[in-house]
Amino acid sequence: MITIDGSFGEGGGQILRTSLALSLITGQPFRIEKIRAGRKNPGLLRQHLTAVKAATEIGQAEVKGDAIGSQQLTFVPGKIKSGDYQFAVGTAGSATLVLQTVLPALMLGDGETTTLTLEGGTHNPFAPPFDFLQQTFLPIINRMGAGLTATIERHGFYPAGGGKFVVSINPSAQLQPLELLERGEIKTVKARALVAHLPFDIAERELSLIGRKLDLPGEALHGETINTSPGPGNAVFILAESQHVVEIFTAFGERGVSAEAVANTVIKEARAYLNTEVVVGEHLADQLMIPFALARGGAFTTLPLSKHSTTNIEVIQKFLDVRFEVTSLSNRAVRVSVK
Amino acid sequence: MPQKKTVVIGLLGIQKDAGKGAARWEKWRPTIALVSHEDLLVHRFELLIQPSHRELAKQIVSDIRDVSPETEVHLHSVQFEDAWDFVEVYGQLHDFVRGYRFKPESEDYLIHLSTGTHTVQICLFLLTESRHLPARLIQTSPPKYRKHRLSDPGTYNIIDLDLSKYDFLAARFQQEQKEATSFLKSGIETRSKEFNRLIARIEQVAIASRDPLLLMGPTGAGKSRLAKRIYALKKARHQMSGAFVEVNCATIRGDAAMSSLFGHVKGAFTGAINNRDGHLRAANNGVLFLDEIGELGLDEQAMLLRALEDKVFLPLGSDKEVKSDFQLIAGTNRDLSDRVREGKFREDLLARINLWTFCLPGLRERKEDIEPNLQFELDQFAERNGRRVTFSREALTRFLKFATSPDASWNGNFRDLNGAIIRMATLAEGGRISVEVVQEEIERLQESWQQPRTNNQLSCLEQHLHQDALDDLDLFDRMQLESVIKVCQSSRSLSEAGRKLFHSSRDRKQTVNDADRLRKYLLRFGLSWERVREGGKERQRD
Repeated sequence: MITIDGSFGEGGGQILRTSLALSLITGQPFRIEKIRAGRKNPGLLRQHLTAVKAATEIGQAEVKGDAIGSQQLTFVPGKIKSGDYQFAVGTAGSATLVLQTVLPALMLGDGETTTLTLEGGTHNPFAPPFDFLQQTFLPIINRMGAGLTATIERHGFYPAGGGKFVVSINPSAQLQPLELLERGEIKTVKARALVAHLPFDIAERELSLIGRKLDLPGEALHGETINTSPGPGNAVFILAESQHVVEIFTAFGERGVSAEAVANTVIKEARAYLNTEVVVGEHLADQLMIPFALARGGAFTTLPLSKHSTTNIEVIQKFLDVRFEVTSLSNRAVRVSVK
Repeated sequence: MPQKKTVVIGLLGIQKDAGKGAARWEKWRPTIALVSHEDLLVHRFELLIQPSHRELAKQIVSDIRDVSPETEVHLHSVQFEDAWDFVEVYGQLHDFVRGYRFKPESEDYLIHLSTGTHTVQICLFLLTESRHLPARLIQTSPPKYRKHRLSDPGTYNIIDLDLSKYDFLAARFQQEQKEATSFLKSGIETRSKEFNRLIARIEQVAIASRDPLLLMGPTGAGKSRLAKRIYALKKARHQMSGAFVEVNCATIRGDAAMSSLFGHVKGAFTGAINNRDGHLRAANNGVLFLDEIGELGLDEQAMLLRALEDKVFLPLGSDKEVKSDFQLIAGTNRDLSDRVREGKFREDLLARINLWTFCLPGLRERKEDIEPNLQFELDQFAERNGRRVTFSREALTRFLKFATSPDASWNGNFRDLNGAIIRMATLAEGGRISVEVVQEEIERLQESWQQPRTNNQLSCLEQHLHQDALDDLDLFDRMQLESVIKVCQSSRSLSEAGRKLFHSSRDRKQTVNDADRLRKYLLRFGLSWERVREGGKERQRD
């Protein structure tokens, strides 16, 4: 049995999700210890339990230690069961993170088409928003051979949640390695701002600042009122389309934080990407680790890896017989290749 | 082992949980906050709602579903006309609790205290504290810095009213209990394990109960002192506001007993010039200590039983019942069940008072406690007389050696010890008790334990004389005869006894025939040397 130290590296949640995803796909049981040890509220949190529950259901797994505050968890997967699933996630956990846990196992193999209906937060801080999933992540792994589509029915902003999206998964036998080394020219840069149950001028102010600072024309700025969301919310995205990818950078509005401050956050992140030659941004790099490892090959250029990403690599190498090579290209770029 | 489910029971907060439209998400709502914590998974929420707030309830149920799809919500109707009315609120909540099927073996219950009126909160607290609700309390609070994250659910705090679960508090209670038992022992650091256990148990019962206590034990074992300390402890803990009333039942008989216990009204009998309240009334809200309760007459017993059960009784000559709520502590040095068999004590009264029976051992069974008690008595003496007296090392060793030896029968128990210390301390020269003083005291004690106790009916005389003959004798003669018999029994021959008895006068006599003198004396009571000696042997065989 593979043993994972849940206290090492960065977030305990990421370690757990990666372990679950790879255990499901490889059939290898694992035990994770010292989950979030040394935190103020150590052990499993609700969002972690939701991921465990989804993985248990899909992998027909046997699990021990799946309780709030538990610092040890043993997971023994069975056979992956395709079909229709519905998972509801509380506000603090993001539905996209649950997807991240079960997607690798469902998108590979010879099973039937699976429809995942995910309810809960679709636009949470500290989790990839649905827009990133749909426009950045899925196109890349579909290019690697996966057959995925995602549609949103309702937006769910933190803290009210209550969003809903459906992912349809048509499994394929194998993922193909992909090389994302040359970004080429940035074709377009666009900005989008969403507001739900809040004054629209929040979106206008965010967009106007982004337009001014990134020197974007009026038609590249798009504001939208969301009526289907149960609770209030505001999100602003900057999309950068190059030859191979559409990168998306996100910031969320918060009470007590001005629209301009929110816009500045996302501008800063987009600039960090745009001012370099790398293809893959910080968050996308994190999401690509598992698919690239499963394809057993490929390479991409990205910004210097976050602690989050290096932790992720360490966990992946425990489950899969692959090696990640990280080569520094400059002080603002690295090349990640999988062997 | 399957994980226990977490179940919250809470009232819908008609103000705190309310909120219109999307803006409600910008407001801190306790019920929503409670199910929003990442480290608290609520499997079920039993939400108590008032029928008039059904709309709000619907919204809250839907919002809980969004923020916590793991939580199942059940609605329960409670109807408060006035949510500040204690009786009504308590009644309604009590009904809910009685109708609810708790499964504490598989579910953990949390009572949400942050919604509802203060009256609701108090009632929930009381129901939890009395274990009607087998639950812990949970309080939710908004985040300290609202500005930071509007979505921050704030903090929550779980309070277990089982205070023994908190180490720090448990240590305090232990300390408090130690102080209380020490108080009951008048600060004497007794060493007898059995006695210490007994006192610990008495402390436990005394603090927790107002039921009668029965203290058994030989005279002088400290029943009265303990009763006073129990009262003082309860008073110090604010469990009592009334007085301590002590009555020795052996000293009150007949009409006088009735009247002194239960009081009388003016003119109830000849001589009843004024109203008298009686001891029971005097002990209202306090402690009534009835020592030698076995001596109480049957009429008084019947009245006492009623007073214990209904807290009312009739004063002599009155047709108006009087109320008195007192705690009874009864003392006895005899086995009351014997008295019941003899028909001299009511069985129902015994059943009522021996709910808590504690047997205080005599000093003979607590020899290891003689030394600490001795120190205590010396301190008491110093306090009363303003001068400290100590034993010389040798004297102390000598006294303790005797006091703990089989020779020391301590018939009068602590009363004897108390007397011995007072005498020795008084005779101590220069504040120092010498070996000589101790030696003298030892002899005195030995002698006193050999001599018949004046108030002891069961003297050696009864073995030799009929009750009728005894009744004809003056006390003066009885005491003399008893002493003479004692000397006979400790002598080998009539002549030896005679020599001892007439030791001083024989020098002055012309003829010396002490034996004859003694024989004649005995004959006056129909006794002979042989009979007296036989009785003595019998006594020794006993």
